Amino acid sequence: MSTVTFKNIKKSYDDLVIIKDFSLDIDNGEFVSFLGPSGCGKTTCLRMVSGLETNTAGSISIDDDVVSDPQNKIFVPPEKRHVGMVFQSYAVWPHMNVFDNIAYPLKVKGYNKSEIADRVREIVSIVELTGLEKRMPDALSGGQQQRVALARGLVMKPKVLLLDEPLSNLDAKLREKMRGDIRKIQQDFGITCIYVTHDQIEAFTMSDKIVIMNHGDIIQMGSPSDIRNNPINDFVADFIKTQH
Amino acid sequence: MDLIKRVLFSKRMILGGGLFLLFVFCLYPFLTLFFKIVFPQGGFTLQHFEKVLNSKSTMVAFKNTLWVSVGTCLMSTFMALPLSWLLTRTNIPMRDKWRSWFCLPYAIPPYIGAIAWIYLTNPSNGILNSVFGEGFFNIYTNSGLIWVMGSFFYTFILLSLLAALDRMDPSLEEAARLSGASPIRVFFQITVPIIFPSLMSGILLVLLASAASFGVPAMIGNPAGIYLLTTKIYTLQKMGSMNGIFMAGALSILLLVLATLVLIINQRILSKNSFKTVSGKTSRPSLIDLGSLKTPLSIGLAILFVILFVMPLGGITITALSKIQGKFELSNFGFQNFTRVFFETDETPRALMNSFNLAFIAATATTLMGLILGYINKKTKLKGRSAIEILASLPYSTPGTVLALAFILTFSAGVMGIPIRLYNTLGLIVIAYFAKYLNFSLRTTSDGFGQIDDCLAEASRVSGATWWISMKTIWFPLMKPALMASWFLVFMPAFSELTMTILLTGPGLETLGTLIFQLQEYGDASGGGAAVLALLTVIAVGLINGFVKFISKGKYGL
Ligand SMILES: Nc1ncnc2c1ncn2[C@@H]1O[C@H](COP(=O)(O)OP(=O)(O)O)[C@@H](O)[C@H]1O
Ligand SMILES: [Mg+2]
Repeated sequence: MSTVTFKNIKKSYDDLVIIKDFSLDIDNGEFVSFLGPSGCGKTTCLRMVSGLETNTAGSISIDDDVVSDPQNKIFVPPEKRHVGMVFQSYAVWPHMNVFDNIAYPLKVKGYNKSEIADRVREIVSIVELTGLEKRMPDALSGGQQQRVALARGLVMKPKVLLLDEPLSNLDAKLREKMRGDIRKIQQDFGITCIYVTHDQIEAFTMSDKIVIMNHGDIIQMGSPSDIRNNPINDFVADFIKTQH
Repeated sequence: MDLIKRVLFSKRMILGGGLFLLFVFCLYPFLTLFFKIVFPQGGFTLQHFEKVLNSKSTMVAFKNTLWVSVGTCLMSTFMALPLSWLLTRTNIPMRDKWRSWFCLPYAIPPYIGAIAWIYLTNPSNGILNSVFGEGFFNIYTNSGLIWVMGSFFYTFILLSLLAALDRMDPSLEEAARLSGASPIRVFFQITVPIIFPSLMSGILLVLLASAASFGVPAMIGNPAGIYLLTTKIYTLQKMGSMNGIFMAGALSILLLVLATLVLIINQRILSKNSFKTVSGKTSRPSLIDLGSLKTPLSIGLAILFVILFVMPLGGITITALSKIQGKFELSNFGFQNFTRVFFETDETPRALMNSFNLAFIAATATTLMGLILGYINKKTKLKGRSAIEILASLPYSTPGTVLALAFILTFSAGVMGIPIRLYNTLGLIVIAYFAKYLNFSLRTTSDGFGQIDDCLAEASRVSGATWWISMKTIWFPLMKPALMASWFLVFMPAFSELTMTILLTGPGLETLGTLIFQLQEYGDASGGGAAVLALLTVIAVGLINGFVKFISKGKYGL
């Protein structure tokens, strides 16, 4: 449960500017979606929160702690930021079974065995994987792997949970169920979430706040109903209309 | 005439011919080797094996081979593992440059390294010993042998790891970082277990390469009285007696069995344990910021580079330019060795000519053959075509010493009933190169065919072209980059081949490799002659490698 603040974030690779001037406040327990066409910079913004990318200028804070501010030479490495992340490719470790995958963050942090077992049991039942703890990942379906990834992201009670198109590799039916499940778990935990997607249905059904992006700029942000009722320009209107 | 041409260039004739040659050169010699040793006079006998196994010196050679190979594997792993991490996962400056530089020994024949390290660290007048004191370093030891082999064969593991690390989904490691693990911890708990099959496969390749290596143990081991299986087989064969040949043959079969075992284990590991690490779209890996370690690690890399490359190359250069070894005065340096080697004997021009011709013919023949086999492999539905790759890789993975012996036993008197005397001719050498390097060609051409869509050729056939015409007008041009790469990939190692050639060579048949070997072993007292040729070999390899990389747009070459 934390706030996340982007202040005038810029990101460029050499001369190539990816993010121009990105400012955003995310509240405690808020579910925020970054929505926009592929290549518009959503993933880059998300990864800057985790520390897997560094912003070129501006500052990022989690709660009151600045985690990245190149002007003041502040950079907290990913392993010290205490954020969870769920990747599009699941990134479930193939050499560990379900239990070991989920327990890994706790082991790294030095929890003792019984604590680990309790926490994992709890989270496993929340993501509905009970009974599969001893399975190896290659014996899991895509949906189950994504649940493992979700559990692994949540088990250490991170300040923020970051999700990068977590459902795009799943089939339509499973995607629908997962949408509801993720949202419910997020609300139960009261955890702050940033959710990246190019699928406007996902964004509109799950989020408290939607940030619509294009070419590295924020075009519009607001609640789903705000945006649906008052699209700020043709791009937004077009974008939320497609796929219906 | 027209009919003959049509039959000769028909699809069936060409493809059938290709398969026939594949059998003759890639399988038949092994069968012959086996039968000649096990049924020498028609009756079954294991006496040659018994003789070999009862001989104390061959058992010592076994043991030496084992220890040197294991030592080389250890050294290679300890070098390749940290290097692969540094060069793929961190923001070390000049990453791509370091990457190609540290892979370079892969293309250089290891016996060049043996020569260089002899110049640097032979106990009496090694260049380093003239700095540190006489006898400070002694290359003529087990560790000297391991050091030289390791300094080349680590590239097998490095290349295998680099490929695996590049292929690996970066989010696997990123997820571990976000779980709170430091970069080093991620490497050992996540990365290494996931790329373990590739690591093991690289290690086994090193095991195989060190057990099969001939030049280094011959130059460094023999003077020290340390014999390995390959040098033992060589000694037995050079004895010239039938008994010697039979013992060499039996020993070869044992070495072959060892090599096959290693390969089978390798196959097992790769097929059982290989995790599917590529899944869906992946992000670009975020590089680990080395921060304040950047400078010390860069300096470390530079030192390693100097030790592995600059010093050996320097040793060769100094030796090549020295009139008298061990005298470091300006007046002692000049091009005297060059003129002597090139203009005062006819051996050098002959060796260069032979090497060029052999490599040229072998490269052309394997490439044509690769074209045919690659076509069968990728563009036909022929049953059992998967055997092609296995057959072609058989001579490649066979230790060169064994392969040469099998070729001597099989083809000395002719090929398949055609009575041409091949023993003591370049013909025998060229077919041995052909068999050994066919695998390189097949792999590049199969790659090439795999990337070309069938419909292109179908379009030309529909418009009435015969198979041969469509081959000539469609496939050849499209395959040109792959064919050129294949040609040079064979030409390069063939030009400086030593292991097989030394067994197959005879009077007047010297090649670059055997001439360097002979100059180093017996001939040139000052050592300058071997140095001159070694230096030129390194330069040639560097140039050809750069050229291959250029024409294949970075796909082949290092
Ligand atoms: N390492 C990099 N170097 C250069 N350009 C990059 C790099 N990483 C991402 N980009 C570019 O940044 C842009 C935004 O990428 P990304 O954030 O992944 O977009 P999204 O997630 O919205 O699809 C893309 O145009 C991509 O090509
Ligand atoms: Mg993205």
